[in-house]
Amino acid sequence: MTNTLNCENLSKKYGDVVAVADVGFTIAPGEAYGLLGPNGAGKTTTISMLVGLLKPDTGTVVVGGTDLATDPMAAKAKIGYVPQEIALYPDLTGRENLRFFGRLFGLPRKELRGRIDEVLDLVGLADRADAKLDTYSGGMKRRINIGAALLHRPELLILDEPTVGVDPQSRKAILDGVERLVADGMALLYTSHYMEEVERICHRVAIIDHGAIVAEGTRHELVELVGGADRIELTLDGDVETAIAKLRGVGGVTEAARTAAGSVRLIAEGGRYLLPAIIATVDGIATVTAVEVVEPDLEATFLHLTGSTLRD
Amino acid sequence: MLRPLLTVSALEFRTRVRDRTALVIAIIVPVAMATLFGVALGGDDPPLRATVGFVDLDGGEFPAGVRREVMASTELDGVLTLRDLPGREQAQTALDAGDIGAAIVFPKGFSASVGAGEGGQVGVLTSADSPLAGVVANAVVDRISSLVRARTLAVRASLDAGIPAAEVKEFVERNGATGPALTLENDPMAGGKVDLSVYYGAGMAALFAFFVVGASFRSLLIERKQGTLDRMRAGPIHAWVPIAGKAVVGFALAMVSVCVTWASSVLIFGSTWGDPVAVFTLLLAHVLAATAITMLVASRARTDAQADGVIMVISFVAAFFGGSLVPLYNLPDLLQKIALFTPNAWTTTGLTGLAGSGAGLASVAAPIGVLCAIALAAFCLAAMGFRKGLLG
Repeated sequence: MTNTLNCENLSKKYGDVVAVADVGFTIAPGEAYGLLGPNGAGKTTTISMLVGLLKPDTGTVVVGGTDLATDPMAAKAKIGYVPQEIALYPDLTGRENLRFFGRLFGLPRKELRGRIDEVLDLVGLADRADAKLDTYSGGMKRRINIGAALLHRPELLILDEPTVGVDPQSRKAILDGVERLVADGMALLYTSHYMEEVERICHRVAIIDHGAIVAEGTRHELVELVGGADRIELTLDGDVETAIAKLRGVGGVTEAARTAAGSVRLIAEGGRYLLPAIIATVDGIATVTAVEVVEPDLEATFLHLTGSTLRD
Repeated sequence: MLRPLLTVSALEFRTRVRDRTALVIAIIVPVAMATLFGVALGGDDPPLRATVGFVDLDGGEFPAGVRREVMASTELDGVLTLRDLPGREQAQTALDAGDIGAAIVFPKGFSASVGAGEGGQVGVLTSADSPLAGVVANAVVDRISSLVRARTLAVRASLDAGIPAAEVKEFVERNGATGPALTLENDPMAGGKVDLSVYYGAGMAALFAFFVVGASFRSLLIERKQGTLDRMRAGPIHAWVPIAGKAVVGFALAMVSVCVTWASSVLIFGSTWGDPVAVFTLLLAHVLAATAITMLVASRARTDAQADGVIMVISFVAAFFGGSLVPLYNLPDLLQKIALFTPNAWTTTGLTGLAGSGAGLASVAAPIGVLCAIALAAFCLAAMGFRKGLLG
């Protein structure tokens, strides 16, 4: 089967700073591919090159068999791009926004009218279609933001952080809708700070750090990279930094870092059995006020590979 | 390419029309400013008419000759009306009452004195309330003075040549010409005669064209900020479509703005801007230059606020040095030279030339050429700026 997206050796430098180095991956029809990385890892630069906003220094992007460099119009017509920000016109209604972007993609007037209704149904906003966008909630705007990329039935949908700042109801609607699209055969490239979303939706995941892909595979394959290590979340009260330094010396602990939320995250082989030793190590330095043990997951893998949590 | 361009232009046009400030900037403010300037500082030049008192205390041939010449002068026909008054005091009273604008007083014995080669002095009474009448009266007297000097010189020369005094008068008149008809030498607006309603109408049209077209390029930078520009560019359209779409609408609205200002000047003041084809072409070239210059600013600006500020500065600097706010002929020589670098100067000069001369398109070929050259240079620089920045 021909891949919907095939990118190879993508590189981009800004002066001496390497933003993306030799990135390549493929996405098959009906496959959801997650791109994970901390802020500044190169995700946005990679996506910008995939949708033709940035010209790569090296490498090729082929969408649905069409080379983006040699036939950009045809290649772009196969992509539905949903940027991270709400890239819509607040003074227009939801329907008017969809009409504008549909026309840009060259949809005939009659077909566009039908497609707008279909997309409004898909994102669950048919009843608010004629209200101005600036009266929408954040979640509703996000849904129209996605809808604008679906009008022309793209072969490849690129979603860049589509659920940032949305309410649980809208998030569920978005994820349900995305799963339906993938089930119908659309290829998906998905980035998110929410690991549970990536684990739920994506068949394969690439972890990108410092502009390069450091690991790629299915969720199971990636989790295997950190072995049978458990993730332990400790909430400490006291000298946390000294405690972290001491914890790194506990046998079996392979990672110890402070999270953005202020807790301490440990990766440890058979971690649940090390709890007495861990608590004894911090005794007198800090008080353990809460403990959570999580079996190996993508979050642990990410921490293991990049040394930081996804939301840092 | 055309359909996406029309789609972007349609959205831009709709947004600008929905935003009432576009209507204000494009039409209401330039028309109001041009009208206010025209009313406050100009409008049509007042017709040159003066009633001048004529006091003949001499009763001789010289005042009679002057009266004949004034009445016979075609250039003074309809301009100067003489009103006979018996004496200087009565003339002063009439002047103070505003019945006359000025007075010419021939003293007693004036003709005899001139005839004897001794010259003579004609009095002029003027009023600050009627400067034009004073100018006309002084012009007439200046001409009289020339005749008096010529007559005095001729008489003295004849006497020196040995002509008997009793025959000098006849000898001089037989050999001397009566001189040319009286002419007004002190035209108060000579060298800068313009209809100020046209001048300020043209100035405001030239100034506000920058603001109107600048608003479209500002919206381009706003679209960059809100992400819609990248979203458009990620679609199957040429990279230049968003820029061209905005430029087309900015250009069209600026053309509407300048043409409405032109029409309002004609309707409100009854002004004539000159040959319509030439005026329209000149305005077209000006708006083209304004479009290119504001596009250049947008291509280099980092934010819409920065672009807004720079366009504002450029607009007012070009308006000041280009004579849109202060008539060019009132500026010092150095500033008049600097003005040549602004599109406003070429536009204003071209338009006032058309209004004053009744000439056609050929007469403004040079300003149009310069404006097109400015536009071309700015377009090229803008294209380079967009390639490196917005489209990089």
